[in-house]
Amino acid sequence: MKFTRFFSRFVSTFFKRELEKVIKIENVTKMYGPTVAVQDISFQVEKGEILGFLGPNGAGKTTTMRIITGYFPPTDGNVYVLGYSILSDPLEVKRRIGYVPENPSMYNDMKVLEYLKFIGAIKDVPKSQLQDSIEKTVALCALKSVTHKRIGELSRGFQQRVALGQALINDPPVLVLDEPTSGLDPKQIHEIRMLIKSMAGERTIILSTHILPEVSMTCSKVVIINEGQITAAGSTEEIGRNLERSHQIEIMAEGPAEKIIDHIRRVKGVDNVINQGINYIVDVDKDSDVRAEIAKSIVTGDFDLLELHTRSLSLEDVFLRLVTEEEGGEAR
Amino acid sequence: MRNIAEIYKRELKFYFSTPIAYVVMVIFTAIFGFLFFRNLTYYSELSYQLMQNPYYAQRVDLILGVFAPLFNSNSIILLMVIPPISMRLFAEEKKSRTIELLFTYPVKDIQIVMGKWLAAITIIFLMLLLTAPGPFMAFTFAESSEWGPILAGYLGIFLMGVAFLSLGLLISALAENQIVAIIVSYGALLGFWFLGWVVEPDSGKQIGKVLGELSIIGHLTNFVKGVINTTDLMYYLLFIFTSVFLTLRVLESKRWRG
Repeated sequence: MKFTRFFSRFVSTFFKRELEKVIKIENVTKMYGPTVAVQDISFQVEKGEILGFLGPNGAGKTTTMRIITGYFPPTDGNVYVLGYSILSDPLEVKRRIGYVPENPSMYNDMKVLEYLKFIGAIKDVPKSQLQDSIEKTVALCALKSVTHKRIGELSRGFQQRVALGQALINDPPVLVLDEPTSGLDPKQIHEIRMLIKSMAGERTIILSTHILPEVSMTCSKVVIINEGQITAAGSTEEIGRNLERSHQIEIMAEGPAEKIIDHIRRVKGVDNVINQGINYIVDVDKDSDVRAEIAKSIVTGDFDLLELHTRSLSLEDVFLRLVTEEEGGEAR
Repeated sequence: MRNIAEIYKRELKFYFSTPIAYVVMVIFTAIFGFLFFRNLTYYSELSYQLMQNPYYAQRVDLILGVFAPLFNSNSIILLMVIPPISMRLFAEEKKSRTIELLFTYPVKDIQIVMGKWLAAITIIFLMLLLTAPGPFMAFTFAESSEWGPILAGYLGIFLMGVAFLSLGLLISALAENQIVAIIVSYGALLGFWFLGWVVEPDSGKQIGKVLGELSIIGHLTNFVKGVINTTDLMYYLLFIFTSVFLTLRVLESKRWRG
């Protein structure tokens, strides 16, 4: 046992590339009874990356994260964290991961300082370093003003920071954050995001979310999961580019709607027009720029063109599109 | 070891930062005190009357007259006060979802179970310790030096308390809800209690003997008389071991099922 561990470490050090894959998820499947929660998913995270794990609610994000953190074992497949298998070396994996669950539940009866001390001890922070680690964590998560308050009495934002604190107390190389900004107000969201971003590089982070701007703002890589399967994976830009199949143009114009639609449709490159009051949303091919043509067409029809601008697909639209396409595909 | 100690400290602190420990201890010691007082006064009246007859006077003794009935009646009080201690051990963590983080820390299940179990045992131990002044006074005034039987009686009810607790621990690991945990604990403990009554043990039927041996209360009788019997000792130890072992299995199985 000891020897194989030593050997695998040796091998991974030898092939340095392998070591850089901090988290390896290999063909992981999880069943809850007969229900499949995640099916055969594989992906890797390299050192210092922030991976955005994206999907609608119930897609299997939390299940995957719980497997990575060792909360429960996968039904099939394996997860390696820094070379340790979650199945054969769960304690070693757990030592290297800091986990913040969604809406984290902590011991509400404990005071913040007391709680951090307890978690530090449980996570095997040496006694001589414990005080130091607590001070560092308190400073990093800006908890100084609440150290003597009970966790249950704290605001949601502070609770989230305490949750981050318990994850960081033993200075783990890997962080797993399940929807770290859910339930926070915009200011708190911003603070938490900045905190996460500031930790990139030294730590490898997996962050799950269903909020897309979060991914484009904080993550370098994205894995999109839907109904327990990975639908797309790659860098943030890649995903955006590949899936951006068409542009949309938003037009505001006054005049009889049918005629306006007719005029817009005449322009070459227009796929579809949707009318909402005086607003028109036009789907166009992404290769051609038809804004001038459309403007001309409307003006020559003697309608009042109030506004015209492109609406490039945000990651959110891409995501929605991916998810709905999947569903559409299945329906057929 | 450090992990067990940390979990133990947290759990124990929780019992005392909530009313649970105080309520349970006050109720237990109050009832113990009352029964002790009643048994003692009854015994002193009785012994006063029996003084006139030297034959009977020899047969009266403090252990059989006061402490055996006292410990026997305290077993039912233990049955009442232990499920409130044990019900929260796992059910609460599951309900409030704090177990999610606990299970992702580098701790083994057995360390979690041991920490919690030992903390609850400490409550039982303290509870019994609080009753010590009673017997102590009785012996000071009775000028008797027979401490052994009393200690055996205490050992008996302590072991029985830990057995109750261990079964409660198992049920708490199974249940999601504390109310369910406490009701099922009462049901299960009373079930083990009544096992001995299902078939008359002296009816000569083998099944009656077996069920009688399984009864959780039957094994206390020797202890309270001051006799430490290996059979009784083994019964409680096995009962405790099995419950704790099953608790570990339940946690593991729940984990695999997700």
